[in-house]
Amino acid sequence: MLIKYFATFRELTKENSLVLNAEPANIAELLELLSDRYGTPFRKAVFEDGELSSLMILLVNGRNVRITGGLATPVNPTDEVSVFPMVAGG
Amino acid sequence: MNGWIGTTLRVDLSRGTIKRERTNKLVARDYIGARGMGVKIISDEVDPSADALGPDNKLVFAPGPFTGTFAPSAGRYNVITKSPLNGTIAGSNSGGVFGPELKFAGYDAVIIEGQAKKPVYLWIKNDLVEIRDASAMWGMTVADTTDALREQTDPDAKVACIGPAGENLSLIASIMNEMHRAAGRTGVGAVMGSKKLKAIAVIGTGEITVADPVAFKAAVMDARGKIQANPVGGVGLKAYGTDVLVNILNQSGALPVNNWQDAYSPVADKIGGESLAANQLVRPKGCFACIISCGRATKVTNPAYAGVGEGPEYESAWAFGVDSGIDNLDAIIKANYLCNEYGLDTISMGSTIACAMELYELGLLTKKDTDGLDLSFGNAEVMVELVRKTGVGEGFGKRLQEGSYRLADSVGRPDLSMTVKKQEMPAYDPRGVQGIGLNYATNNRGGCHVRGYTIAVEVLGQGAPTDPHATEGKAALDIVFQDLTSALDSSGSCLFATFGIGGAELAGMLSALTGVDYSLEEFMKAGARIWNLERLWNLKVGYTAADDTLPVRLLTEPIKTGPSKGRVNHLDQMLPEYYALRGWDAAGVPTPEKLAELAL
Repeated sequence: MLIKYFATFRELTKENSLVLNAEPANIAELLELLSDRYGTPFRKAVFEDGELSSLMILLVNGRNVRITGGLATPVNPTDEVSVFPMVAGG
Repeated sequence: MNGWIGTTLRVDLSRGTIKRERTNKLVARDYIGARGMGVKIISDEVDPSADALGPDNKLVFAPGPFTGTFAPSAGRYNVITKSPLNGTIAGSNSGGVFGPELKFAGYDAVIIEGQAKKPVYLWIKNDLVEIRDASAMWGMTVADTTDALREQTDPDAKVACIGPAGENLSLIASIMNEMHRAAGRTGVGAVMGSKKLKAIAVIGTGEITVADPVAFKAAVMDARGKIQANPVGGVGLKAYGTDVLVNILNQSGALPVNNWQDAYSPVADKIGGESLAANQLVRPKGCFACIISCGRATKVTNPAYAGVGEGPEYESAWAFGVDSGIDNLDAIIKANYLCNEYGLDTISMGSTIACAMELYELGLLTKKDTDGLDLSFGNAEVMVELVRKTGVGEGFGKRLQEGSYRLADSVGRPDLSMTVKKQEMPAYDPRGVQGIGLNYATNNRGGCHVRGYTIAVEVLGQGAPTDPHATEGKAALDIVFQDLTSALDSSGSCLFATFGIGGAELAGMLSALTGVDYSLEEFMKAGARIWNLERLWNLKVGYTAADDTLPVRLLTEPIKTGPSKGRVNHLDQMLPEYYALRGWDAAGVPTPEKLAELAL
């Protein structure tokens, strides 16, 4: 699974991307794994009261997980996951 | 009046006359100000068949009631006119401090009529208003004009002006204020150039009265708190600017590439906000009363493209970047600087270059047409040179300055102009985001994203997120965004304030400021009134339902790579519902009942 980090998540993880050699079943498990790897600041950035943080945008193969089931969204080893802070523009 | 000043300035450049008029209270109430007031004035006073670049067209500069107050991000003004690019009742919206200064000088709107015989500028210092000779400034860049005017008037004067592109009547010319802020779209700079009005310089010392200061302060503080608490307004835009969207749209499969031949680029990261922040950003910069500061003060040290200035925004980075096959951010920034100097719309300029590159690669343009330049996608050096040529109206630049539609049409391929109603679309591919496609197709000024920014919920997942690939519900979504933005633009606040507050907060602040009781319903109804009045103008100009469409490429040519591979836009599944929900008939004409409901 390829994880790509952008904007503040690059500062938080000190990485632009990560090839994850694990098989989490869903987004919740994936974010737990990544929180273990990067520590408390990362965990605080991705979880909010046990739910997906409103401060981030998470895409799985280009699909925003907020419309695909949130933390329960299933993931596969061949997926590409993109992690952004909540931003916008115009 | 409270919030509004109560005075409108009318300047006839043919006769050389200056009049002060009372601002119509009922028009102010029903159309709010800025965009709405300008649309009402143009609709009442200009014949839709008038030559947009002739003396009968008018040009309205209008701040809104919030402009100049401490309401959040209340630095906006609008320029409204008949567009020379496409004939729509069009306009453009800019920030900075020029709009507030017009209010402080004592004006809700400045209406420019007629045409001067020689170049002039308008000097406004409170009640003192003079039409002055600008012959010595004709031909100057935006920065030189601004410096010269401050020398001639007041070092603190706020200046809105055109560059050489507006003077040359380029149909993609912008009006610039504070050198780097742009009323960029719809060719408003050419209208100013046609009137031989080089600039307006203004300084004001007046105040804006508030109907209920206690309630207004409370409403403003509540709104500011919500914007600062929102991750977009409070942190994201300040740190990375709007260019941060490059990677998000790319990873979502909706970043147009090579004149919209694809919607994903493997090198997009090189031109995104992260790269900008790491390499060229000097500091964030905000407009009047802004608590967001999305502006970018930047510096390029690469000798080939060296310079100091502001920008780019996301749209500009995209248009000069991956849409033209280019991943050199230094070159992109240089192109942006040149647009600001010559007074060109970055979206239309970049998209026109991308179109020219595709025409060149197809052999429809050759080096005989392009002054010997190689217009292959990805040629950054040539891209920058094309901006310069367009800015000064030299050689092949004379063709580019008319925008991509006329260029592509001239070689028999208007379908390769990625425009709606002849205006270039911004950087969100409707094949990957269905609702923004409907917004482009129905937008009253042609290809436009800010007047119906459904990206917030379709891609970014804000508010009530929706599936970008779905068509269901998008008609209603578009209408809400379009009407809200019409009212917001008219209030004088910035679109980005809505990344934290909505119509209810805006209506509350407006009521406390003006003393007019705007419920959320009335605020949204004012937005719908403005939208429908713009539509009526467009119908009079000759637009029909057939023009509410997208380039055929987006309807029939699937995206080739990336997350949206294989997708096209399904406009036909959304448009009939849009007309019905708008209260329009099947031909896209507002029904008598709808017009009566909106008091039109």
